[in-house]
Amino acid sequence: MSPQEQHGARRSHPRSHRSRTPRLVALAGALALTSSAALATPLNPAPQQAQAAGDRVLTVAVAQSVDSLSPFLAVRLLSTSILRLTYEYLTDYDPGDAHPVPGLATSWKPSADKLTWTYTIRSDAKWSDGQKVTAQDAAWTFNKMMTDQAAATANGSFVGNFREVTAPSPTQLVVRLKKPQATMTALDVPIVPEHVWKKVTDFSKFNNDKSFPVVGDGPFVLTDYKADSYVRLKANKSFWRGAPKFDELVFKYYKDQDAAVAALRKGEVSFVAGQPALTPAQAASLKGQSDIRVNDAPGRRFYALATNPGAKAKNGQKFGDGDPSLLDQRVRHALFMAVDRKTIIDKVFQGHAVEGQGYIPPRFSTYFWKPDPGQELAYDPAKAAQLLDQAGYRKNADGKRVGKDGKPLNYRVLCHATDPNDKAVGQYLKEWWAKLGIGMSLDCLDNVTDPWLAGKYDLAFDGWSVNPDPDYVLSIHTCAALPATPKDTGATDNFVCDKTYDELYARQLAEYDPGKRAGIVKQMESRLYDLGYMNVMAYPNAVEAYRTDQIKSIETMPRAAGNIYGQDGYWSWWSAVPADSGDSSGGGSTGVIIGVVAGVVVLAGAGAFLARRRRATADDRE
Amino acid sequence: MTAETATGPRTLAWQRRRRSMARFWRQYRTHRAGLVGLAALALFALVALTAPLTVGSGVTGVTDAPGSPLQAPSGEFPLGTDRFGRNLLGLVVWGSRVSLLVGLLAAVLSVVIGTVVGITAGHFRGAYATVLMRITDWFLVMPALVLAIALATVMPHSLGTVILAIGVTSWPTTARLVRAQTLAVESRPYIERAKALGGGHWHIMSRHVLPNVMPLVLAQTTLMISSSVLTEATLAFLGLDDPTVISWGGLLQDAREAGAVSSGDWWYLVPPGIAIAVVALAFTLCGRAVESVLNPRLGVAR
Amino acid sequence: MSIQPTAPDSASAAVDKAAVPVPAGTAARGPRARTATAYLRYGAAKAGGAAVSLLAVLVTGFFLFRLIPGDPVKTMTGGRPVSAGQLAAYRKEFGLDLPLWEQFTDYCRKALTGDLGTSYQFRTPVIDKITEALPNTLLLTGTAFVLYTALGMFLGTRSAWRHGGLGDKLNTGLALTLYSVPSFWLGLLIIIVFAVGLGPIPGLFPTGGMESGGKEGFAYVLDVAHHLVLPVVTLVAVEYGQTLLVTRSALLDEMGSDYLTTARAKGLRDDLVRRRHAVPNALLPTVTLVFVNLGRTVAGVILVETVFSWPGLGGLFYQALSVPDLPLVQGLFLFFASAVIVMNTLADLVYPLLDPRVGR
Repeated sequence: MSPQEQHGARRSHPRSHRSRTPRLVALAGALALTSSAALATPLNPAPQQAQAAGDRVLTVAVAQSVDSLSPFLAVRLLSTSILRLTYEYLTDYDPGDAHPVPGLATSWKPSADKLTWTYTIRSDAKWSDGQKVTAQDAAWTFNKMMTDQAAATANGSFVGNFREVTAPSPTQLVVRLKKPQATMTALDVPIVPEHVWKKVTDFSKFNNDKSFPVVGDGPFVLTDYKADSYVRLKANKSFWRGAPKFDELVFKYYKDQDAAVAALRKGEVSFVAGQPALTPAQAASLKGQSDIRVNDAPGRRFYALATNPGAKAKNGQKFGDGDPSLLDQRVRHALFMAVDRKTIIDKVFQGHAVEGQGYIPPRFSTYFWKPDPGQELAYDPAKAAQLLDQAGYRKNADGKRVGKDGKPLNYRVLCHATDPNDKAVGQYLKEWWAKLGIGMSLDCLDNVTDPWLAGKYDLAFDGWSVNPDPDYVLSIHTCAALPATPKDTGATDNFVCDKTYDELYARQLAEYDPGKRAGIVKQMESRLYDLGYMNVMAYPNAVEAYRTDQIKSIETMPRAAGNIYGQDGYWSWWSAVPADSGDSSGGGSTGVIIGVVAGVVVLAGAGAFLARRRRATADDRE
Repeated sequence: MTAETATGPRTLAWQRRRRSMARFWRQYRTHRAGLVGLAALALFALVALTAPLTVGSGVTGVTDAPGSPLQAPSGEFPLGTDRFGRNLLGLVVWGSRVSLLVGLLAAVLSVVIGTVVGITAGHFRGAYATVLMRITDWFLVMPALVLAIALATVMPHSLGTVILAIGVTSWPTTARLVRAQTLAVESRPYIERAKALGGGHWHIMSRHVLPNVMPLVLAQTTLMISSSVLTEATLAFLGLDDPTVISWGGLLQDAREAGAVSSGDWWYLVPPGIAIAVVALAFTLCGRAVESVLNPRLGVAR
Repeated sequence: MSIQPTAPDSASAAVDKAAVPVPAGTAARGPRARTATAYLRYGAAKAGGAAVSLLAVLVTGFFLFRLIPGDPVKTMTGGRPVSAGQLAAYRKEFGLDLPLWEQFTDYCRKALTGDLGTSYQFRTPVIDKITEALPNTLLLTGTAFVLYTALGMFLGTRSAWRHGGLGDKLNTGLALTLYSVPSFWLGLLIIIVFAVGLGPIPGLFPTGGMESGGKEGFAYVLDVAHHLVLPVVTLVAVEYGQTLLVTRSALLDEMGSDYLTTARAKGLRDDLVRRRHAVPNALLPTVTLVFVNLGRTVAGVILVETVFSWPGLGGLFYQALSVPDLPLVQGLFLFFASAVIVMNTLADLVYPLLDPRVGR
């Protein structure tokens, strides 16, 4: 699936961000202007307006553009991250171990029949326009999503199982379910102020980006947005959990990760994440830099090779054109056993990843599972060849393995043209499988959604960011997630449909005891591993970097070793502490020098240009 | 050109042409820039043709890459290594094959289309020519890069797509030039004579017009290769090329994706770019020299 | 560098004298008009031709992007689970449920009233996205355009005056070299050297973007100007060569003319002859080139905008293509092509007014 776009599928495209030394930049800019003088008519030389000196600005470089600022439409990681900062959810995840902690709701409890959940809404939360946040706002938000299809665009899946949502009192929210649902403390839905949003007529077109500041109740208030340039947020001083330490947060857009890294190196931004990680070369070069800290932490993503199990719809209709040989489990296992995961970690990720095991990354220790030695599909090309022989795919005279139809096997592997890792790993796969006698062609597309949904692939690079509650990434391999007919789009990731897996899935969803639920989830992972449709090659690290002369400290999630950008919560930006002297000392002196030099150069250039012009005119004059 | 064998007039024509070739070469030799361009081209052609012997196709293999990723230039790897640890010098050499081939084929495709359109539009007047020239004009004003990107996007990423995208968007200039030349040629008296002697359309176009526009076409092809090489690099850089094929533009794209710009790994970025620029420049120089030989009025150009 | 037209002072000049720059090639075949009516007739013909071209662009824009394989609605929903009913609703919303020809007439009707549809990914009218990014692109290309035209004409004139000399050789050599350099590559190198800083050279300029944000008034202008420097330098470097070469060859061409000999015979000083007679005449083809370039530059700026993260139309186009965001791609395509056509037509209309040989 094109995970970038999918809900919950944060195949993130984050980027860095930037801090600044406003006056100096302005000075340099002023001088620069003189140079590009030719066109700009000199404006009133008003005194330069530096920012109020005390303002602490945290600039984050990002590589993704905003798709929408409406919480009902936004699906991209950048947009949902920003909305997470502006609208509080019912519950948050603890930055330490991701267990649910109070957000807008201070407490919650299910009824005995597991079908009714009652949330107590805090009474000390206020919207940024001064009105109180009430349970009615939450009820309105959920009801809107349940009744207006356009409002269900982004987060509709959360309310699919809701029967009714009411707010009997300003502090009490009651949700009635159709079936028990273990994820009721993981409702990642931004709660919006009813008094503002009820005026919206068409939710499919309203992007929430016209009138600023946007009324919200999160740690930051959205104050400005310019497409493909920046998103600005101001600290919400009256945030109930406490005001953020920085006064302002800016997400600045770079089209290219390398430019963002360069900006960090220069101090134009304070933070740069990767898309989804800094490249090994970038990380290596930044590590040697003073004032820059590279955060190389276990990631929340898995990076897998998905195999087409023969796409079909819920009504039993088959579609797509996956290679029939892949329906043989031995072939799938053989293909994966020919993949040297260690080399991928060493060469492609250059150590910034962990070798793949089960479906859920080790970072989520509660749910992490690894195969028994007997079950493990370790790298073993000889055994892979054996398996293929057993399955009846023998080599012909040219050394190519032949399918049942007599033609040499040649698999199409779908790859994201925008992901360098896909292309790199693809080249390795090609050579490894060639040794097995199997051909492969790498099918790199900007947008893989289409062949993917149509089941027109043999294998594909797949990857998802896993949420603290794994329900979503587990649900996408159930039969229920298949599209109803070939015409529909289902939630399914890879058309996997397995009875055993489905039974386990239903059991874990109804299991409210965390320990027991984790046990069932591990059984599911084991089943998935054996099926061989989802072969996890690696868990890429979150590799990101920030300037220590601008950010003194910032919270990672998990606290011990975790990521900063794309957290399940607003912890990083909310907790970030500005460095005291940073701007004035480090950035300051260099900045001044840079500014002055820039000015001189630019003036010299302008002078030379003008001189030339004058000479030219002089020449022309009689 | 036509001349085949021994019949009297054919031989004469052949001799005449050989003489004019010699004259052409004598004049071409006086253009120093043209010679430099030609020498550069010969060098690149040699490098590309002998690549299987000098570096071998093994240079593109990732599983048995000799170095570790992104090593700086050294005795072992004069241009360092790429993100897989492959020898960059070898890759640049190997990449010349694809870049030159694509440039050449795209230019040929473009010039062939342009020549056919130009000659027929010049030969057959009337509605046919009007329609054809309208289409040509329309293609001329289309922003070619935008169109090429659009084409490369709607078709599967492959070398064929790139060639097609370049060829289909760049032919109109040639068509206009060839048409003008065709009109000039056909106004000459001997064409009247050929017609009177019963020469059909095909005869006139292939035996009289084509040989006369050939020099122009040659110059045009040379210039077109230059821009095709650049466009190929551009499309590869935008990721519209086949990612498993090594070309100069593709190497630049790899370099950027690997983070070579911010890491200061210049050896990954500089050589492919220089190669592109040098080849493009060499073809431009040759094309200009050819042109000024053919058209002495422009001879002042050099 | 966009796809380059054939090298600057190439064969075109040889064949069809005035047609050097103007693709539509009309100047030469242009009006023999001696009267205003004739000119009007000529103008009407040109405008009519442009209208036909615009119509053709409209048609192509529609059908070309319908070739993209797959279902736009599924693409639009980005693979999120959607029922057939919802998909049908989306189809209806975007008019994709209608038969093709109806979609086409609908699209034409709307396009003519300036409605280019709604972007799939931004859920915003395409025209709004374009008007949002257009000023940024115009700022960048306009600045670069003025500079490279001035620089190209100036150096081209000088080069022609002293043709054959060392200065001329260096001048044309440099122009040809820069002309052969891929613009994106040059941009990256410029970033490494002047934005990141290399060795003793400090990084003086921002690495990308158009503004730092949060600035107002004069500080804002300065900030934007500061961001403008590197992309403009890149564009000027790769584009000025063409203007230079055309100016140079046009002037050289002119210098061989009979009337100049006559003028010289009258006893006018050589440099006077050049300045009073040759230069004004030679600049004519360049003037038309100017118009053509302006349209072309807008389209060719895609790469520079991408490399420098400039929030303009080029970047938007590239972003739209990778989704693909059909209405946005279509709208931008229409816009780019129309820009070029309009500029060309202007060039055609202006040329006869300027050219004394056309004798108005």
